[in-house]
Amino acid sequence: MSAPRGQQPATVTLAGDDLARDSATLEALWRDCPGFWGWLTAVDHKSIGKRYIITAFLMFLAGGIEAALMRAQLARPENTLLGPDQYNQIFTTHGTTMMFLFAVPMMTAMGIYFVPLMVGARSIAFPRLNAFGYWTYLVGVVFLYVCLFANTGPDAGWFAYTPLSGPAYSPGHRVDVWAQLVTFTEIAALAAAVNVIVTTFKMRAPGMSLNRIPLFVWAQLVVAFMIVFAMPAVATGSTLMLAADRAVNTHWFNAAEGGDALLWQHIFWFFGHPEVYIIFLPALGFVTPIVETFSRRKVVGYTALVLANITTAFFAFGLWVHHMFATPIPELGQSLFTAASMLIAIPTGVQIFCWIATMWSGRLRLATPLLFVLGFIFTFVNGGITGVMLASVAFDKQAHDTFFVVAHLHYVLVGGAVMPLFGAFYYWFPKITGRLLGETLGKWHFWLFLIGVNVAFFPMHVLGLNGMPRRVYTYLAATGWGPLNLVASLGATTIALSVLLFVINAVWSWMGGAPAGADPWGSSGLEWAAASPAPSYNFLHIPVVTSRHPLWDPIAERPVVTGLSTTRREVLITTTFDARPDSLHQHPDASIWPLYLALCMGVTFIGSIFTPYLVLVGLALSLIGIAGWGWTGTRASGPERVATPRPVTEGL
Amino acid sequence: MHSFFHPGSPHANAVAHLWWWMFGVGGAIWIGVTLVALYAAFTRRGSGDGLVEPPAAEHRRIERVVSAATFVTILILAGFLVYDFSVGRALAAHPQRGLTIDVTGHQWWWEVTYENPDPSRRLVTANEMHVPVGEPVQFTLRAADVIHSFWAPSLDGKRDLIPGYTSSFWFTADTAGVYRGQCAEFCGLEHAKMAFYIVADPRPRFEAWLKAASQSHQAPADPTLAYGERVFLASGCATCHSISGTQAFATVGPNLSHFASRSTIAAGTLTNTSVNLTRWILNPQVVKPGVGMPAVPLDSGPLTALVAYLESLK
Amino acid sequence: MKALRTEFDVSELPTVTFGHRSLMWWGTLGFMVIEGWTIALLVASYFYLRQNYEAWPPLRTPYPRLLIPTINLAIMLVSFVPVYRAAVAAKRLDEAAVKRWLVASSVIALPILMLRWWELWAINTRWDTNAYGSAAWVIVGFHTSLLLLDIADTWGLTLFYFLKKMPLKAFSDTADNSFYWYFTVGIWIPIYLIVYVGPRVF
Repeated sequence: MSAPRGQQPATVTLAGDDLARDSATLEALWRDCPGFWGWLTAVDHKSIGKRYIITAFLMFLAGGIEAALMRAQLARPENTLLGPDQYNQIFTTHGTTMMFLFAVPMMTAMGIYFVPLMVGARSIAFPRLNAFGYWTYLVGVVFLYVCLFANTGPDAGWFAYTPLSGPAYSPGHRVDVWAQLVTFTEIAALAAAVNVIVTTFKMRAPGMSLNRIPLFVWAQLVVAFMIVFAMPAVATGSTLMLAADRAVNTHWFNAAEGGDALLWQHIFWFFGHPEVYIIFLPALGFVTPIVETFSRRKVVGYTALVLANITTAFFAFGLWVHHMFATPIPELGQSLFTAASMLIAIPTGVQIFCWIATMWSGRLRLATPLLFVLGFIFTFVNGGITGVMLASVAFDKQAHDTFFVVAHLHYVLVGGAVMPLFGAFYYWFPKITGRLLGETLGKWHFWLFLIGVNVAFFPMHVLGLNGMPRRVYTYLAATGWGPLNLVASLGATTIALSVLLFVINAVWSWMGGAPAGADPWGSSGLEWAAASPAPSYNFLHIPVVTSRHPLWDPIAERPVVTGLSTTRREVLITTTFDARPDSLHQHPDASIWPLYLALCMGVTFIGSIFTPYLVLVGLALSLIGIAGWGWTGTRASGPERVATPRPVTEGL
Repeated sequence: MHSFFHPGSPHANAVAHLWWWMFGVGGAIWIGVTLVALYAAFTRRGSGDGLVEPPAAEHRRIERVVSAATFVTILILAGFLVYDFSVGRALAAHPQRGLTIDVTGHQWWWEVTYENPDPSRRLVTANEMHVPVGEPVQFTLRAADVIHSFWAPSLDGKRDLIPGYTSSFWFTADTAGVYRGQCAEFCGLEHAKMAFYIVADPRPRFEAWLKAASQSHQAPADPTLAYGERVFLASGCATCHSISGTQAFATVGPNLSHFASRSTIAAGTLTNTSVNLTRWILNPQVVKPGVGMPAVPLDSGPLTALVAYLESLK
Repeated sequence: MKALRTEFDVSELPTVTFGHRSLMWWGTLGFMVIEGWTIALLVASYFYLRQNYEAWPPLRTPYPRLLIPTINLAIMLVSFVPVYRAAVAAKRLDEAAVKRWLVASSVIALPILMLRWWELWAINTRWDTNAYGSAAWVIVGFHTSLLLLDIADTWGLTLFYFLKKMPLKAFSDTADNSFYWYFTVGIWIPIYLIVYVGPRVF
């Protein structure tokens, strides 16, 4: 039966174990160095994950402040709070921050923190690459916001359509800031994606065959593949095309010399549509474990949920033209994208039906995480339906680029990603910090958030259909758009209040909330077998997994792995499909090279805006970093044993 | 009229019809799913630690329900797909060629041209156009600088104006009236203030308008207006604007030949009154910061005459 | 409470593996997929722009020159030999042979790198002349960045082998380095055909 809640893991040991000595040895072996230097050289995936989560959340707050300013300006017709130039920088930064600096990094951060724990590994596959990804992301954050405060914030929209964003119509450096920001966030996302894929394929605990990995991990794995195929498109577009047009006069988008403004849209949306599923699918990965735990039953349709995730990911790459229905693209082609855009609702629908069925046949505990799941169903389904409407070319030609789309996108992103994310915070906060978030404040947060989101965004459907386009810094009173805009702005205020409650709850609970213990909710995943927070080495003994819900297994004894080194950082590599123990890998110690190399990336890419010489300097400095990274990677302490070749028939 | 909910053309009507169906069915699904989830949330609450493990028979029943719900979803989506394709095909049908209006998008105004085989009768205007009621009108769309989007919600969906591309679409206004539209693709600083008006007139009134608008102006007889015309030519206005029948024929800015017949100034930003026009001329940057027109600091004498002249250009 | 039981004692498992059994191989594969996909997107964009033209290269734009690119392609194909032999020697754990073939690989990289400069100019149109020139330069330029990384990696690895006694797991890194070299040269073949030969053909 399920493990009792609120207790530390069983302190039963194997014969020959000395718990205190072994855990102290391993803790000292795997932990980050102390002090400021330790903070700079950290490679523990939990340290990196935590700082990613915190930084991404700060970006959520920054994006929220930008939204608040926008809503304050639009609350009244012909308002003069923000002029057009300020407004354009702010709405561009709002979109850029939310999409590039909050949503994707937050989702990858959850993966970085939890995937190794959930698959029963000591660490993530490439710890230094992980740290490098975070530092590169941080360089991007600082760069964008310094430029925004210096009145050089990007102002051509988060989507930067050409030729408006090209050299002729956006002189100066504002759009260059955007283009290089995209480079930094793309590198960070790809680093995280490679890490998630390789950790999931090669470092799972023995017995955790692919059909036993948790749905959270499936979602992260699928999304990691999506990142691999989507991010290069936006990086190609922004760095190799737009930045090149602006800096060295290439003509990718210059119609006068054979370029094509629509090429940008194809490249951008080829990334941009999968991007929203990259944000959405991990949230679906949060929903399953929350539903399972608070319905006290295994989820209905594990296989269907996995297949739905994979199907959605494939479909997501076939939808991008629906952002371009108002352009002169041949109509036959457009129809294909209508069909795909409608059909993608099916796998998502399947997932929602499975979750409702799970709750219907379970025994529910309406704690805050589950409330956010219910809020997600209510809000996201609305957005999904307006999405099906927008799939119609004829209707989209009316609603495209209006506040109807603003309403739709916020319903699906806030309802579909942010609500599950808040649920995930309440659920996993105890695992990260060792303390529970307050339930009462949590419920206030939930209700205010749900009400605020619907009051803010529902009127926008009507505004859009009544003629209000997007990305306008003001509107005339005679249009009649004033009253609904005011309502929307009041809703935004409510959202802000609810998020403030969450921040208070988080800070208060982190400092002195109720202690959580290893498994406060009675959950089934491996991460709940580790202490809260997990020690630097994650698991004293890697567990051997015998089912999809390890902690709910009614088995008498817990099989584990022994023999991992206690004198060097050693991880277990298992076979790809069946997770049989295959080899050992020595993992790196703390290192300054990831930070150094990220700073070199900064010099190179930020420098490219100003002069090619800085690019050369940056590349030369990077070479030193790569050499240092490689050199420190050639250390091997302890005995080495070379594998004998094994026939492929024995499994990958 | 500028609302999807007040269609003024068969196209807009057909799309609104499609949408109301989607709204009805979609709304019902939304409410239905919410109610089911809420019902589960309220009636399935319980405390205690043990896991719930439904027996195999219940499992099969659950699977059947989920499959059925999925199947219904597929049917509904397929239905809407078919309906949507039929609407799309109907909208794509091309009529006989009728009136063609060329629209070129600029930052932040609309250049409108009615071509004519007789070049002296060619009409170039800005931001406001007339169409005959009940007849299909074709719009040919180009962009002079960046991407814009031509959208009059009561009349039809929007079409983007893309530099390097010439595209066209058509619709029929079946109700007389004034339809407002606004640029619907972010095009820079004053994207928010780039509106236009389509006036749908019965055929005779449309022809009268077209005839009057295509005519060149004579020199004004009234001395104040003549003075105003001289102020216009002497104050640099002719660097950007044209007025037919004068020596101003620049095409950088909107054609002002029949400025007084337009209901707004600066692409729908101000109503066209003498007071507003005075304000605009003195400093357009206050009304529409970043617009291409500089401040024209005139003394009140010349300014009054200039405004009177422009307001005489019907 | 549940008792623990040892199911697997992994203390004698190998620590050095090759190919898909090694983490670094997967990392290399990931990098190749990402960069290869980027090139695919660039090539797709190249063809997307092509459809805006009747003539390709555009009128009054000269054909790319073929001599230097073809010579360099030949040298790159020849470079497969020392690179492959280095990987074979690495799997055999033959350090002396590895060092020999790494040096050979490093040496053959020099003409490849030098000729790459002239290869860029062999496109025969500047990147700022028209969209055709832009696309060709960016594709070849991007591949050049991959080539530079590959050569830097190879030189670095060679240098390390002479600077210190490398652990056995470096043999796995050597094999992965060859793996990346196969990709860098392999992906160049279609690029060469599309950018240099293509305009004469279509």
